[in-house]
Amino acid sequence: MTIEVGAARVLVPTGIRRGDVIDVRALVEQPMATGLFRDARGNPIPAYFINDVSVTYGDREVAHFVWSSGISRDPFVEFSLRADREAALKFVWKDNKGGVFQQSVDIKFIT
Amino acid sequence: MSGFSRRWFLHASGLAFLALGVRRLAALGAPRPRDDVPWKVQQVLKQLFGDRPVQDGHVQLDVPTVAADGRVVPVMIESDLPMAAERYVKAVHLLVDNNPDIHLAEFRLTPQIGQAFVSTRIKMRMTSPIRAIVETSDGALWGAAADVRVTVNGCG
Repeated sequence: MTIEVGAARVLVPTGIRRGDVIDVRALVEQPMATGLFRDARGNPIPAYFINDVSVTYGDREVAHFVWSSGISRDPFVEFSLRADREAALKFVWKDNKGGVFQQSVDIKFIT
Repeated sequence: MSGFSRRWFLHASGLAFLALGVRRLAALGAPRPRDDVPWKVQQVLKQLFGDRPVQDGHVQLDVPTVAADGRVVPVMIESDLPMAAERYVKAVHLLVDNNPDIHLAEFRLTPQIGQAFVSTRIKMRMTSPIRAIVETSDGALWGAAADVRVTVNGCG
C-alpha cells in the first residue's frame, strides 16, 4: 500500500445552523512510523510521525493536539466544535521531520 | 446425636462458600485501588500533573474489550464536564500502560469546542489498560480506565 503523505481531508456536516455543536473529522495520510519496526531486509524504519496538530477557527486556535507515534497510521481525529460564526476551520499538521501539511474547510450556515 | 451432624456441616459449609462468593462480587464492583497503577505509569502521571490526585468519574472511555489488530484500536473519550468560558476541559490525556510511549496523546481544548469529546485510533503493543484523564481549567483531574486485550502487536 502506498500513501500520498500529506494528503488531508477535513469533514464537517452539511446544514449547520448558528450555535450548533458539530462533529469535525480530520484525516491526514502519513505512515506514523514509530522507529521500532524493521523493513523486509532488516533495516530499521526511522521514526516519522505527526506530533503536533493545530486547529484554527477564524483567527483563534480552538484546539491543539500533541501526539506520539502511538496514534495509528493515517492519523484520524474527531471532536466537537461550537459553530457560532462563519469562518474557515484550518488544520495544520506538523511531523517530527519538519514537514507541515494543512487543509481547511469553510463553516457556512444554512439560511 | 450431637449438634455437629452431617446436615449441620453441609449447611455451614454452604453458608461459608456463599459468604466467600459475596466478597468476590463486592471486590469486582469496587473501584480499583490507587496502588493498582504500575510504577512506570505513576512516574508519567507525576511528570504530567505533579501530586494532584486523579479522581474517578465524569469521563467515559469507549474502547473495544478485544482488539484484533493492535495497529488500529478505536478510542473514544467523552466527558460531561461543562465547556463554558469560566470552567472548561483544558486537556484530554490518553495513556497506555504497556506501550513504549505511555503518554500517547494530549488533546488541548478551548470552550469553543462546545463538548468535551475526542475520538481517534491508536496503536497498542500488547494487552494493557488504557487511561483517559481529563484536566479542567481550574486544575481538577478526572479519569477513567479500561482494559483492552490485544492479539497483534501494533508497535514493533
